[in-house]
Amino acid sequence: MTATTTTRMESVTLLRQRYRRAFIALLAYGVLAVAATVALFPVFWMASSSLKPGPELFARDMTLLPVNWTLENYRNVWNNTNFPRYFWNSFQVAALSTILSVVISMYAAYALARIQFAGRYAFGLLMLVTQMFPHILLVLPLFLIIQRIGLLNTHAALIIAYTAFSLPFTIWLLRGFFESIPEELEEAAAIDGASQLMTFHRIILPLAGPGLAAVTMFGFIRGWNEFLFALVFLQSRELFTLPIGLANFQEEYTFRWDLIMAGAGIITLPVLFLFLLMQRFIVQGLLGGAVKG
Amino acid sequence: MYRRRRARFAYFLILPSLIVITLLDLYPVIEGVFVSLQNQNMMRPNPEAYVGLRHYTRALFEDIVFWSSVGKTLIWTAGSVIGGYIVALCLALLLDRELQGRNFFRALFLLPWVIPDVCTALLWKWLYGDEFGVINFLLLQAGLIETPVQWLANPDMAMGSVIVVQIWKLYPVMFVVLLAALQNVPRELHEAATIDGATTRQAFWYITLPFIRSTSVIITLLASIWTFQSFDVVYLLTGGGPSGATRILPTLIYEKAFWGLEMGYATALGLLMLVCLLAISVAYLFVYRTQRGEA
Repeated sequence: MTATTTTRMESVTLLRQRYRRAFIALLAYGVLAVAATVALFPVFWMASSSLKPGPELFARDMTLLPVNWTLENYRNVWNNTNFPRYFWNSFQVAALSTILSVVISMYAAYALARIQFAGRYAFGLLMLVTQMFPHILLVLPLFLIIQRIGLLNTHAALIIAYTAFSLPFTIWLLRGFFESIPEELEEAAAIDGASQLMTFHRIILPLAGPGLAAVTMFGFIRGWNEFLFALVFLQSRELFTLPIGLANFQEEYTFRWDLIMAGAGIITLPVLFLFLLMQRFIVQGLLGGAVKG
Repeated sequence: MYRRRRARFAYFLILPSLIVITLLDLYPVIEGVFVSLQNQNMMRPNPEAYVGLRHYTRALFEDIVFWSSVGKTLIWTAGSVIGGYIVALCLALLLDRELQGRNFFRALFLLPWVIPDVCTALLWKWLYGDEFGVINFLLLQAGLIETPVQWLANPDMAMGSVIVVQIWKLYPVMFVVLLAALQNVPRELHEAATIDGATTRQAFWYITLPFIRSTSVIITLLASIWTFQSFDVVYLLTGGGPSGATRILPTLIYEKAFWGLEMGYATALGLLMLVCLLAISVAYLFVYRTQRGEA
């Protein structure tokens, strides 16, 4: 008799526990849904506004979703402003500076990860400290230097600057990826008589693929989004990159929020696409960069 | 022999990076030191005249605007980092459980991080608008306010408004990092605590918090460094206004350098800022080390 009551009591508690758990899970989902709505509302509003025709955008009675949704704003930005020009400029600058910084940094990252040399610690420290330099400080003397060597108002100045500023972060991140590659592999290659550089190119580099993809994306997003240096270095409108091009809309097309929101949408879409494509790598990169750094 | 060859190989590998960093990170700072000791005022003749520490003494002892800007920068940084940390921790705690679609939610909450600064700033300007801004519209509809609030144009509101934007920009990275740290807390510890009769709050204070302490220190330090020197959001939202209410150091420096044309003074301010940043970092790391030493 005692045995059956205990099992029955046990099953009742188990059931109760299960209900409790289900309730907590439900509650968690509810809170998450509310939090996500609040956090993402601005993005939703940007998308919604960019798809509304002008009269709806400035209507007294706002609607959450466009009533007569349209791509007209996007067409206007693309056909009637300098936006395609800015888009191409941004792409060039971001892509070139990313390629440069990834190629330069992968060698340094490998040395930092795998080789014992005098000054290794100092070099690592330098990477950390330079990441801390405020850009608003660097931009002033760089402005004078760039002016002196006649590179003011050129894309070259931006490409050089972006390359330099993503180097420390890229090196730091790639170093983590190289460290995770088994050391035996290169030892075997060294015994086989491959040169050090060849070992790196043929054996290590292919294995660091995900890391290289991650830093490439980080670099590209950084160049694509950068504002301050572009603002200071560029003067002619035809050289503008997307961020300053869009910021300039505020004066150029006052109160044209239809154009501004569609423009913001165009700048965001490529980055969003990269983000969704490589979400896992981004999280890895953030953790590697932030927690180790 | 092999080791020496290996070391030489290492120098060869780091050389390009070292050159680029020296030319574009270290050299400008050194040049900046020289510029900060020169006149470099484009309104006056003889820009390269040596003026000693005059720019520094002017900032530290004469310029009220500088000190008020330092205060604003501290409020801006502390408000954004504390706010961002609280939001991030709440979200991370919420997602730190067996949950269907956890990765989906993580991606969702990370999303504001990828929105480019310019878009973030202009988007919030649109949200904050007094006539056509949706925030005012919703508050009016809900009957919480009677006239539209001037979120960015009212000097009493502006700082709070820009801090909210910075929190929105800052919390995603903190959240991802904290979530990863929470997932490293061994489940057995929580189970043992529950068996021993600990309440949820006790479990949080004595198990969870010590485990995420070092991560919290590092991520709040990084967030402070980012926010302390961030320029884009405030510049684009308020330009430092209204009447200087959001004039943080980066916007003050920009103003001095490119509107006031006082390059020397602006550079001196920038260097003072760098010193502050380094001091914050060293202090933080010191606290972090001693804490870890005790634990």
